[in-house]
This record gives sequence, C-alpha cells and structure tokens, in this order.
Amino acid sequence: MQMWHLPKNQKSNQASFKIVIMEKISRRKFIQLSSAAGAFLAVGCLPGVSGNEQVTSTLASDLSRVSLNQFIAIGTDNSVLLYNHRPEMGQGTYQSIPMILAEELEVDINQIIIRQSAANRELFGSQMVVGSRSIQSEFDKLRLMGAAARELLKQAAANRWKLSIDQVTASEGKVTNQSGASFSYGELVEDAAKLNPSNNPPLKKRSEFKIIGKSIARKDIPMKTNGEAIFGIDITVPGMLYACIERSPQFLGEIKSFNEAEVLKLNGVRHVFKTSRNVYGNTREGVAVLADSYWNAVQARKALKIEWDTKGLEKVNNASILKDSYEAAKKDGEELFGKGDVKKAFGNSKNIIEASYEMPYQAHVPMEPMNAIVSIKENGAEFWGSTQNPNGIRSFLAKTYNFPEEAVKINYTFMGGGFGRRSMTDVAEEAADLSKKSGAPVKVIWTREDDQTQGPFRACSVNICRGILNANGKVMALEHKVVAQEIQNQTGPDMKAGRQLMGGINTDFLIPDFSVKGVLIKRHIPISYWRSVYHSTNPFAHECFIDELARKANQDPIEFRLNMLDHPRYRRVLEDVAVRTNWKSPKKPGTGRGVAAVERSGAYFAMVVEVERKNGQIVPTKITTSIDLGICINPDTVKAQAEGSIVMGLGAVYSGLNVQNGAMVEQNFHTYPLLKINQCPEIETYILDSDAAPDGAGEAGLPTVAPALANALFDLTGKRIRKLPIDMKKMV
Amino acid sequence: MAKLSLQVNGQTKEIDVDPQMPLLWAIRDFIGLTGTKFGCGIAQCGSCTLHMDGVLVRSCVIPTSAAVGKEITTIEGLSKNNDHAVQLAWIKEQVPQCGYCQSGQIMSAAALLKTNPNPTDADIDNAMSAVLCRCGTYPRIRKAIKQASKL
Repeated sequence: MQMWHLPKNQKSNQASFKIVIMEKISRRKFIQLSSAAGAFLAVGCLPGVSGNEQVTSTLASDLSRVSLNQFIAIGTDNSVLLYNHRPEMGQGTYQSIPMILAEELEVDINQIIIRQSAANRELFGSQMVVGSRSIQSEFDKLRLMGAAARELLKQAAANRWKLSIDQVTASEGKVTNQSGASFSYGELVEDAAKLNPSNNPPLKKRSEFKIIGKSIARKDIPMKTNGEAIFGIDITVPGMLYACIERSPQFLGEIKSFNEAEVLKLNGVRHVFKTSRNVYGNTREGVAVLADSYWNAVQARKALKIEWDTKGLEKVNNASILKDSYEAAKKDGEELFGKGDVKKAFGNSKNIIEASYEMPYQAHVPMEPMNAIVSIKENGAEFWGSTQNPNGIRSFLAKTYNFPEEAVKINYTFMGGGFGRRSMTDVAEEAADLSKKSGAPVKVIWTREDDQTQGPFRACSVNICRGILNANGKVMALEHKVVAQEIQNQTGPDMKAGRQLMGGINTDFLIPDFSVKGVLIKRHIPISYWRSVYHSTNPFAHECFIDELARKANQDPIEFRLNMLDHPRYRRVLEDVAVRTNWKSPKKPGTGRGVAAVERSGAYFAMVVEVERKNGQIVPTKITTSIDLGICINPDTVKAQAEGSIVMGLGAVYSGLNVQNGAMVEQNFHTYPLLKINQCPEIETYILDSDAAPDGAGEAGLPTVAPALANALFDLTGKRIRKLPIDMKKMV
Repeated sequence: MAKLSLQVNGQTKEIDVDPQMPLLWAIRDFIGLTGTKFGCGIAQCGSCTLHMDGVLVRSCVIPTSAAVGKEITTIEGLSKNNDHAVQLAWIKEQVPQCGYCQSGQIMSAAALLKTNPNPTDADIDNAMSAVLCRCGTYPRIRKAIKQASKL
C-alpha cells in the first residue's frame, strides 16, 4: 500500500486518500477482455481498503464490498460501487460508463458510488481517451459486465428459493420471485461471488432501458463547484521538487551551453539539468531548473542563458510555409480515395471550378497547464497526474527504466482539459528524467507560454478542391487534395501520405469521378492529435467547396447536398436541421445562414449557423445542430459536448498561430485568445432517436463550425472566405 | 523571504515566502488550498480568481504581500456545504465539464450577483467575459447565473 499526500487542508474524508494497486492479481478472477462477446467470466473477492478514492486509480473495493468482476463491487449494506476505467477530462464518461454498467446490473443510478479504476491494460483493456471512442468501443463490454453480475445475483437468489434462474427477476438492486418475495443484492452478493458467471448473459432490449437515454446529473460536478476535485497540478508528493523547463523556441534546437553555476546559486534552486523528451520521433532538448517551490523554479528559469544551435530553422515562417505547401501541391501525392476517373474528367473539361483553402496551426490549450509528477526509485516508478493515456505512461516508464509493468504505479486524476494534448506521454518523460537525475520525485509544470509555443499543434493545412458541374448543376467530378503534415509520419524519409490525412472529407457524396489525394509535408514544427484531428481542417475546405458548387449551380445548399447523398444518417440530420431552422423560410434583411454536415467517430452532425449584421459588425447569432450518434447514453452530456466542441470550433475560426523565425509567435491568451462568453452565440442541439450502436460525441460538433459559418458569411456578404482564421472586424 | 500572515476563509495562516511571489502560489503551494487554479500567469484567463475584501482579484499577478491585512475568500470558503446560490445553480444546470476553470467562473459569478442581483444577459456577458473556459460551458454559465439570481 502506498500513500501520497493531498494538498493540506483538504476535507478530512480525503486525507485518507489512498491508492491500492494489486500487485498480483489472479487473471482467473476477472472477466477476460480479449473478446467482449466471448468473455470468460470468473469472480473473486478482492481484498481492499476503505477511504475516499476520489479520482485516483484503485482496484480494491472496500473490505465491506465484494467484487463480482473488475467493474462491480457490492456491499452487504447494499452499497454498489462501479468502476470507471477511463480518465475524465470533461467528456462526461465518469458518469456515462457507470450508467451502462448500472443499466444491465439493475440498480438505482442515484445510489451508486463511482470510483476510478487502476491503470491496467490486462484488466480493463484500452483506457486511452481519444477519438471519442470511450462509449463507442466499451458499450458492449460494459453491458456484458453489468449483465454477468446481475445474472450471478439472480442465480444466487434462485438457488436459495430452489427455483430456476428464469423464475426470478432483478430490478432496483433486488431479486424477486413470482410470489413476491425478494432478496436485496447486499444479501446475495457473497453467495453470488462463489458462482461461475455466464459467458454470454442475456442483455436487455433497448425498450427495457431505464437509465440509458436519460439525462442523469453527473456525479463529478458537485466536486467541481467547491474546489474539491483534484487535478494533476494539485498533487504534492513528500520530498518532491518543482521543475520549470526552458526549451528551444525552434523545437529542434540543440543546447551548446548554459549557465548552470550561476542559476544554481539562486533562491531555492537545487539542480539545473539538461533534459529531453521525445516528440513523435524527434528528441527535443531543454534545460530544467529544479527548486523547492514552483515560484522559485520559474524565477530561476528566467536567469537561464542558453546557447542554442538552431540549425537554420529560423528561416521557416508563415510565408515559407504557404510557399512550400503550394509547391508540394503540384505533386500528385497519394490517392487516398478514388472512384471513376478524375484525371479523364478534368482533362476533358473546360469548366473546372477550383478553390484553395488555408488553415493555421492551433494549440490545444487545456486550461490546466501540462504537468506531471514522477518518482523513479530503485525498484519501481510512480506517476501522478492528469493524462488521457495512463497505460501509455505505464508502459513508457516500465520500458525506459527497465521495470516490470507491475512495478509502475499510475495515479491518474481528473484532467483540466485534454483535447488530445494529454494523450502524449512527453511531460511524464521529462519528469521521469529529472527524477532519475535528482533522486527525488519531480513535478514538472509547463507555463502557459510553454504550452502555446511548444505544442505539439494541430497541423496547418492547404487544401485544393477542383470540381465540374454539368449543365443541370450536378457535380460530375471532384478532386480534393490535402497538403499537410501527418502525425504518425513526422520524421524519416518516408514521404507517402496516409489515410489519416483525409479525415472529415465526405466521400459518401455520389459523384461519378471523385478523388481524394494527400501530399505529405515534413516540417520541424511538431503536430499532434487535436480535438477531431484532420476533421478540424478538411471539412472547412470540403463543405465550403460543396457550398461554392451549390451556389454556382443555383441550388439550395441543403437540397444540393441531399441530391448527392443516399446515406440515411447524413440525410436525416440534414433534413432535420432544415426543419429546425425553418431553412426554407425567407431570410430577414441583414442576416445570412450557412450549412455544413460532417461525420466524426460515427456521429453525424448537420449544422446551420445564422449570422447577422449588428452595429456595423457581423456576428454569428445562432448555431443549430442535429445529431445522429446512435443510442445516446446521457443526452445532457452529449449536448454539453456539442456545445463545447462548437465553442472550441468557433474559437479556432477566430484565432490561429503564426510562425516567425521558425517559432510560434503567440505566447499567451492576450495574443491567442480563446472564445469568450460574450462571443458565444445561442446554441441549440437536437439528438435524433436511433437504435444504432452508440458513436462518439466528444468531437463531432467541431468540424462543421468553420464551414457553416463561412458559408453563412457568403450568404450575407457574397464574399467567399477560404482562409482561417477569419477577422470578423473586417467582415462588412 | 518574509513571514507573512494571511486571512484566508476566516482563518489566519502564517507563511514564510518571497513577498513578491503571486498570491496564487501562496494559496496553493504554501496554504494548501488548491481550488484556485493556475491558468496563464498574466491575468488573462481568470482561473485564479478569488475575493479580497469582497473584490475580485486575479491572484496570479497580485504579490502575496499585497494580501496582508485583507480578507481573502477562495472557492473553498464560498460556502460551507457547497450551497451558495451560484454553486447550487451550477449543479442544477450541470455547468462544469473538465471543471478546471470553474472556481474562477463561480467566484466571478458570485461577485457579480452581489453587486447586481438581477443581471441582464449583457451584464452577464460583460462580467463573465474575463474568465475563459476551453470546454465551452458558456451557454450553461449564462443559464446558471440567471437561475442563481432567482435563488
């Protein structure tokens, strides 16, 4: 058992904040996750500890509770404890995952206790929260877990009554027989834990759902209104040092010299070390100041004088990036999607419509600056912090420092936002290196300036679209060429673009000759996954170009799209948003409206943005979106995610990062502003009912914002915008 | 370094710190109240907002010495049982997502309602535009402040 410290003055029930990670767990005791459908079930009672494990990982249940599998423990006092195995960054799966378990388990969702599970790939499968996948990929597995536990409880009751299992029913935490007698789950759990679970327990029909599909208040919200919620940056570990790191503005700069002796003399400074981290195959160097407080580390960092070898990277700037991109666009690139014969179509046509679109780099900017605590000891390592990728950090530490995975403990907390940035393990890598060098646990905290200037960033992109309309205004050919860096191919000689580059380009449009091409660019500026990834850039080009074609064809933009789509989910969201916004009604003078529809992570979003000229300036006044994401677990959470991704998408329409001297120009919020409340239009979201398997809600609202807004601005002003960010002050 | 005495949430706290260190780090790292958050360090995001003698302050830029003799209230001291009207409305409207900026949002909203118990939409936008939220909880913040003004 390992204890670590919460900040002083936390409420007493949190002072016993403990972590227990079971070192050796018999695999037989847990449901195997290799195949959810063919799960082998076995049960066991776990030893454990008491205490409030608010946000950290634990496998153990209280002594008073009996585990029915790795997700579910029930107390003889009828308390029900459900484990959430996915980190929470605001997306709301802290509530949605237990909702799925509780649905099949047949317990009152308001009576359950939610705990965060350990980071353990063997027990929980993937725990990485990326790509809006948590519900999508876990739905079947979680239902099986809930149902398997429920069936055990039913069997235990049936055994007592000497009945068969189909003569009893489970509901609201108890099992009842046909004569009306019942046992509570608490009365049954010890017996149930001794039984062999079924491999394929019966699952409820959708019509029998009592929890899934209802808006249930999130249990993490009250602790986020009084300062109780613990984020990585809030944790202190006994004996730890604080580190602040100066890194090369040109990213790949190498350290030639630094004034270690001078800085070591400053207040509270204990060590000054060269350190490094790996960013998608590139080593990035820095000089770290380790001090007794964060403030002292920050102050001493200002006194660092580092001589960098910047390798001529200062030559890269906005203009060179665009020049390189358009030069690269002359190449054919890789065909990522192809239908018909685009080359022939364009060769024969004299009426090619062409447009180029430009999108800048963006920073992730989670409100909680990047941070990590790592302690490297002789026989193991421990991590504390906020991460989207707890198992990635575990594997990294095990591999790098030659420990078995069991010797690496991962304590993950709530995240103050992630947006993809926290899927990387780089900050833990810095903390680990500094812990190894200093012999103490080290807490690295990035400043906001570090976050905005070091990235990795959302890739910038140049997209070139070409199309042909026939005399009837039908799109006969379309070519969309994406020129961008690729996340998984940032170093080395391989210049072949991969399919990731075409994210968000709707190839369901029924166009006879249709090609999507990718041209890979390599640049020293690091990129990474940013909320919705290439869906955050490509649809601006694609959905604006479709709009351009619609206008050239003198057709209504929604009708134009529907005429090219037989995909039922695209059709229904477009049709629905048209109804919700009275799309066919005449516009008021001084207003405009634009549409876009994009699929992301299986979720279909159609969006209408309305703009209005107010006091000499054009502003978006209302954003309406219709969503089909299959079965919706917690509608209020889906709405919150739609609102959030729309706000983030709108922010990315108004600001972007500039490159000068091979480095990012914008340092902090004064030059790279996030969207503010007074810029936030009214947002309406409609979730369409569906029986389909659930899809991802966390990103799908973002890709449509930029194109729908640009199309609305065209509708009002007649001016096409093909470059982001948009300076709304210049819109008249 | 200097021994300073701070009044935080009705309690006296003695700390030995660089008097120029921003109040934020005194509250978080030396007093141990972590509800007040670090977001930008240059008074641009509002995550570090707290009340000093009832007035909103960006604790990331105020020297700790400037807080001596003042009554400081942090999110932990806003109410005993998470039942300030703003907190209740925040829960009712399910405002937070990641939750990181919410202490600053709630402290700002509480200060707004103290001076302006019935704010208009424009008042809310005006007062709250100084606190950034990357998760985009703004539509719910508006609703929750309206709700709180009725509690």
